Amino acid sequence: MKCKLCSREAISDICRYHEGAKQKVDAGYPLWSKAYGGISWKEYLDKVKRNEQTGQWAREIAEMLEDIQID
Amino acid sequence: MAPSTSGYTLVVCEKPDAAQRVAEALSNGDAQSTAVDGMRIFRFACNGEDYVVCSAQGHVYAISDPFGERTVYPVFDVEWYPTNLVEKNASAARRIKAISRLAEGAAKFVNACDFDPEGETIGFNVLRYACRGKEREALRAKFSTLTRDDVVDAFRQARPQAGQGPARAGRTRHLVDFMWGVNLSRVLSQSALNSGHRYRTISMGRVQGPTLAFLARRETEIREFVPLPFWKVSGIFEKEGIRFTVGYSKEVGSRTAAEKARDDCNGKEGVATSVLKHAFKVCPPPPFNTGDLQKEAYGAFGFSPSRTLQTAEKLYLKALVSYPRTNSQHLPPSINYKTVLQGLQRIDRYSKIAGDILGGALSPTQGIKVDSAHPAIYPTGEAPRGQLDQRETSVLDLIVRRFLATFGPPARKESVIVKLTVGEHDFVLRGERTLYSGWLESYGRYVSTRERSVPSVAKGDRFMVADVVVEERFTHGPSRYNQGSLLEQMERESIGTKATRADIIATLEERGYVEGSSMKVTHLGLAVTETMEKYAPAILTTKLTREIEERIDKVEGEAMRDAELIRETVRSIAVQLEGLNANEEVVGRELDAAFAGTSEASNLLGPCPVCRSGQLKVIRSRKTRKRFVGCSNYSTGCTASAPLPQKGTIRTTAKPCYRCSWPVVYIMGGRMPWKLCVNPSCPAKKRRKRA
Repeated sequence: MKCKLCSREAISDICRYHEGAKQKVDAGYPLWSKAYGGISWKEYLDKVKRNEQTGQWAREIAEMLEDIQID
Repeated sequence: MAPSTSGYTLVVCEKPDAAQRVAEALSNGDAQSTAVDGMRIFRFACNGEDYVVCSAQGHVYAISDPFGERTVYPVFDVEWYPTNLVEKNASAARRIKAISRLAEGAAKFVNACDFDPEGETIGFNVLRYACRGKEREALRAKFSTLTRDDVVDAFRQARPQAGQGPARAGRTRHLVDFMWGVNLSRVLSQSALNSGHRYRTISMGRVQGPTLAFLARRETEIREFVPLPFWKVSGIFEKEGIRFTVGYSKEVGSRTAAEKARDDCNGKEGVATSVLKHAFKVCPPPPFNTGDLQKEAYGAFGFSPSRTLQTAEKLYLKALVSYPRTNSQHLPPSINYKTVLQGLQRIDRYSKIAGDILGGALSPTQGIKVDSAHPAIYPTGEAPRGQLDQRETSVLDLIVRRFLATFGPPARKESVIVKLTVGEHDFVLRGERTLYSGWLESYGRYVSTRERSVPSVAKGDRFMVADVVVEERFTHGPSRYNQGSLLEQMERESIGTKATRADIIATLEERGYVEGSSMKVTHLGLAVTETMEKYAPAILTTKLTREIEERIDKVEGEAMRDAELIRETVRSIAVQLEGLNANEEVVGRELDAAFAGTSEASNLLGPCPVCRSGQLKVIRSRKTRKRFVGCSNYSTGCTASAPLPQKGTIRTTAKPCYRCSWPVVYIMGGRMPWKLCVNPSCPAKKRRKRA
């Protein structure tokens, strides 16, 4: 099976690189929430997605998670 | 026909320029230059003996397998062959023929190739194969510069090599590297070919593996990086109409805390609770070894490590600097500091600094690393005879200034740290100034001196906080390696040698594993790393390659037989190939997909400014086979297209044109790459045409 976000082989629905990035995005949420004194998951994903420092795979994951939420 | 003179001493040098220098030095400029089979040689008499100086052209023998069939592996039955049979290098054939003829009339042989593993290998092979087994009886002349004194001295002290340890080590390194490289590369390339029906070289080697792994690991960290927010708080302090900005003592990790600091401090009075002044010495850097020179040249001029080494070698062949392939950071007194400095004193731009140094005790700063073969890189003090090109001038200036700097006195600096306290909040002001420049002056523009002045503040001084500024910031991901920092990492991990590291980096680029000056790892580079991680992980570890290096050192010191190391290598390769062979189909599929991804990505030029949702890409017409720019939304109606030059490689600049927003590309071909906005109707082009 192919990764939903790139052409690599997927583990479940994403590849191991995007899986690693997903773990980083998940781990970042409590830290961002603490820094801003409370922030919603949606708001967090939006900020991560728009941030210039965010890595390419982390951004793709943030966009994917945002889409999942909208759906 | 053999040359008419007989019973002469045949001197074998590594390169033609070195042969000329050696001949000039030994003959005092009286050598006669003639040609034998198209190869330039030098004849002269010295101390009643006749000499003929000839040269190889780098390696004229190379390792190959007897069949040279790229589909066949494993390959363990390898031999040394003339390079013309391996790489279609016709000049090697001519040279070997000429040297063989000269050897027939020679009574004595001297190996005057560069004194390092490569030079040992080149000299050994020429003496063994072209001169028919003269490697044991040949004398070895060892020198670190091509100046007359050094060359004459080296010939006076030339002796036969007792155990041939360095040459055996050099040859074994070639053999081991060839076997690793050829077997791994063939299994990878062949797997991809079987799966995707197209051949492309996918190379892998025992040094290339760990180097690519460093890059891939860093690339992964960068691409999966999630920044964290923090807040920078700065207080604007004021006293008697003078304002200065002071940073909060630490980064603030929450918005609430940052706003509290602002509210607590704004409009309040602060007091200087401590003023710490600290004078310290900045000692001169050690003299250059190869790696240090390559890193510094990359930082100062942006020269790639391989380019710097090539340039330094040219300077060596012009007798302007010592041998540039060295690990040493040590300048022994035997190089004669005084003579070199006196030479530099005669060159206008270094005259004053060299003169000042000569007025004191001559004791250079020495580094930790040593090399038994050569000292650190230093200038010979000779003025260039002809015109140097820009690159040579730059590298020579860097080497001269580094040499001069090592003799300079330490610089003295003073740092000031002022703590300003407002209630429970601390702000810290840091400054630094140079009290005495010392060696910094000799090193000139190659050292940056961070001068940060601070207003005069005494402990107990009071200031008003005129304002507090809070700025939201984000942490940055790790930086990509550049060629300089990658070289440093390879050195730190002791993989590769001073001579090969630069070539390994260049190969990674050539194979399409990395791209750009920031060495971004491509889809293919990541896929190759992933494949090796899964099926032959040992190749990516520094442990394996470091162990081989240690064993090669043992061969050099004659503590291990070369045959034993080769046997170990064969066993080790067989184990690694097993994993790859057993999964050939999967390996091939993965690599083939990576190829497709890389080539797809490299064809993308940027967003389409016409439909604004598609991507412009390079397309090749099926009918005319000509390439052009088209939009990925062509099938849904976007007709954006543009012609492209048909020659040269096209690389994206990743930037749109400032006038029309169409992509700008580099056309690589001729001497210099040139930039082109792909839009034929770009207003900037029209303006240029009118002009």
